Amino acid sequence: MCCSVNQNYSYLAVNNKFMNIPKQIPKWRIVSASVCGTSHIKNQQLCQDAHHWEILANNVLLIAAADGAGSATLGKMGAMIAVETATEYISHSDISHNTFAEDAFLRDLLTDAMLAAKKAVEDEADLYKYQPHDLATTLIIAIATPKVVAVAQIGDGLAVAKDSRGNLIALTIPSSGEYINETTFLTSPDALDTAQFRILRQEIVNLSVLTDGLQMLALNMLVGEPHKPFFFPLFDFVANTEDKTIAKEQLVKFLCSERITQRTDDDLTLVIAALRKP
Amino acid sequence: MLDTLKLDEVVEFAENPEPRCPCVLLLDTSGSMQGERIEALNQGLLTFKDELVKNSLAARRVEVAIITFDSHVNVVQDFVTADQFNPPILTAQGLTRMGAGINKSLEVIQERKSQYRTNGITYYRPWVFMITDGEPQGELDNVIEQAVQRLQGDEANKRVAFFTVGVEDANMTRLNQIAVRTPLKLQGLNFIEMFVWLSASMSAVSHSKVDEQVALPPIGWGSV
Repeated sequence: MCCSVNQNYSYLAVNNKFMNIPKQIPKWRIVSASVCGTSHIKNQQLCQDAHHWEILANNVLLIAAADGAGSATLGKMGAMIAVETATEYISHSDISHNTFAEDAFLRDLLTDAMLAAKKAVEDEADLYKYQPHDLATTLIIAIATPKVVAVAQIGDGLAVAKDSRGNLIALTIPSSGEYINETTFLTSPDALDTAQFRILRQEIVNLSVLTDGLQMLALNMLVGEPHKPFFFPLFDFVANTEDKTIAKEQLVKFLCSERITQRTDDDLTLVIAALRKP
Repeated sequence: MLDTLKLDEVVEFAENPEPRCPCVLLLDTSGSMQGERIEALNQGLLTFKDELVKNSLAARRVEVAIITFDSHVNVVQDFVTADQFNPPILTAQGLTRMGAGINKSLEVIQERKSQYRTNGITYYRPWVFMITDGEPQGELDNVIEQAVQRLQGDEANKRVAFFTVGVEDANMTRLNQIAVRTPLKLQGLNFIEMFVWLSASMSAVSHSKVDEQVALPPIGWGSV
């Protein structure tokens, strides 16, 4: 306990040091939502998606999203535990300039967060006498500063960044097996070996994370490229948003719109971040 | 004004082809199928089409191919999505070249998958549904043996899910040696109910997301 207090203390100290930097640094704006797919509503199932984001000290953005397996009895629980554990692990880590200076540090941080999430899900299964695969879930974790973004992903879903020159970059791609209805889960034995890691050292202006329900709409599958006409209007929307509550309502409305539900009956999660000058 | 901004009017979607769910019907059209049996099977095929198109997603995703085996093996219907599928009227004559039929079904699946990949089309695990009232007849043992080995390899590597249905006089013991999954015995000539089930199962598969296990409807038309 004592140790953890000390750690928090030094974390604050680092924070204060960074308060001295000029005020006009751009700030993150985020709009996000998870909505239940129409097939799950029909079968009276819960939304199996979960997500969380927060802004840590030093303007570090942290996003996690997870998609609980439809086949897993407790996919929703798995997704929630995975997201909560991974974000808590990272927000309690000592993140400084140093962390972002080296690829190896970033990779270790994300790997450890994945491992913590995996362990938490497995412990939960154990506690209630379930099998780990009953809580099967995918997991995407992204951390970003305006100059560096690092992503780790197990299973399908997608993380995308837009750089300051307007290029749209797929940080990860959906990882499914040969068949579209198969993927790797956090609880799979080979989860960490098959995880995707990507570190981009470039000035970025936008970041987005989404789960597999939207990937057919957001990605050109043949070439594996994110679809600009999908992301650009969403990025503009978030950059120009004034009222968080209204923006979220608009996003939910969009995700539930007929244009989307005609094409996908799965749960949908969309997290969109934009850097904006204060 | 931001308040009036409608996201669904400005956001455009990527145009990706529908994922495909291939299903090969591998049908015995040997002499013993003549008469009532082939007529019931033809009726069943019509039902299959009608049931599949009732589900708009399955109609676009399920691809049907038909291969018949008698003294020859024929691809009567190459892969076509359910909404484009026109069931043929089959006739029965000749021997039962089942081994060659099995080989052909596994071959067309392999080719189809490679076409999917070339065209960036995602897909589900293919199904073969073999229906016979007999056992292999009129071909060399090693042809059958080869087919059995290939089938076992393809099942083990999850390249295909191969189901076998025996009709009336079918040699269930022999079929059990050939197939990996336990063959089912059709009750009478209850093809209609069987194809309703197959359609419901293909629809369930074609809707599934990120599941290895798809719960199939209970089988009311046959027994082990």
